[in-house]
Amino acid sequence: MKQVFQVHVRNSMGLHTRPATVIVKLLQDCKSNVLFTCKKETVNAKSILGILMLAATKNSKIIVTVDGGDAEETKVKLIEAFENKFWEELA
Amino acid sequence: MYLVEDLYKSHSDKLGLELIAGKAGMKRCIRVPEAQRPGLALSGYLKSHAHKRILIFGKVEIEYLQDLDSDLRIARLESILTKSTPAIIVARRYRPPKELSIVCEKFEVPLFRASMTTMNLLSKLTLLLMEEFASSMSVHGTLVEVFGVGVLIQGDSSVGKSEAALGLIERGHRLISDDIVKVKKREGSYLEGSGAELTRHHMEIRGIGIINVAKLYGAVCVRYQKSIDIVVKLEAWDDQNFYDRVGLDEKYCDILGVKLPFHILPVKPGRDVVLLLETIALNHRLKRMGYNSAQEFSTKLYDVISEKSGKRSKNQ
Repeated sequence: MKQVFQVHVRNSMGLHTRPATVIVKLLQDCKSNVLFTCKKETVNAKSILGILMLAATKNSKIIVTVDGGDAEETKVKLIEAFENKFWEELA
Repeated sequence: MYLVEDLYKSHSDKLGLELIAGKAGMKRCIRVPEAQRPGLALSGYLKSHAHKRILIFGKVEIEYLQDLDSDLRIARLESILTKSTPAIIVARRYRPPKELSIVCEKFEVPLFRASMTTMNLLSKLTLLLMEEFASSMSVHGTLVEVFGVGVLIQGDSSVGKSEAALGLIERGHRLISDDIVKVKKREGSYLEGSGAELTRHHMEIRGIGIINVAKLYGAVCVRYQKSIDIVVKLEAWDDQNFYDRVGLDEKYCDILGVKLPFHILPVKPGRDVVLLLETIALNHRLKRMGYNSAQEFSTKLYDVISEKSGKRSKNQ
């Protein structure tokens, strides 16, 4: 099943190395193909350099395309991570 | 959308552009990668006037305007400027007649002056615009120059693209980009790959992290851009799949409408992917030089068989 949805970057520092690591780790076991599109640039979300290349700042909109068997679960996981600012600003 | 502002920012040095009037129109959109000398339109013939093109004023246009009286000059200039005219460039550093500046200010069309001769300006501007308008896309993969052949290594995450590329770099080949390759179609016939500004010459290796190849292995191991000559897809070895054993049939893939030789390379422990990639690249060079190993072998075999069967029929 293909899922296309939008997420917002809420971290004050944007998508820097640590959030990118969280995303890649989260998608490690995911079987679907996951793409991030930000400002007309589309990258593979399983590649850390890909995510970093976007250099997405706070409040950037990212269109996520998940295509594959576990699309539904992946969508839930990703939205949770973005909403919780990748659990880095909780402390 | 490509704006006049973008053209000015990125190419004003190359073209020697200087803004004279019409600054308010810098946000005008350039819709076609074309430029034109408006000679005929200036003389009043406006049928099929290409209003979307950038207008270049050369010696003839300027001298013609000088021969007209002021009112007519304004009228003619006003008639050739439309809402979609992106900009006007005066070549050879000619001083534009003041009416031209006035009309450009009024219609908010940027007016530039360039130092080049008209023909040079026209061809250089067209080339730059064609480049800017060339179709492009980002592909997931790693681009390495192996023996002068641009090899785009593709495959699923964690199949070992970066590791293979690192092995190639260690052997003296050059990295263009890891993970994401920006592909541009050049002159409508070949593809050129380059890396993204931010991640250029960086690689991510599982277990090590992000490394800077240009610093680690030196400037000789990297390149800014390279034409893409072949595509190799790495995939996990599948016993059910029948892999190419002879190499007589060539497979192709399509990127931006350009046909590229395509190889599927199964990986499994014990297979030296780096050596295999080098071999693919060398074999590609050999083919381009007119020697096809598989074809040659097949012909040889055919000759031997026909010779043998000839002898046999003689004996019988």
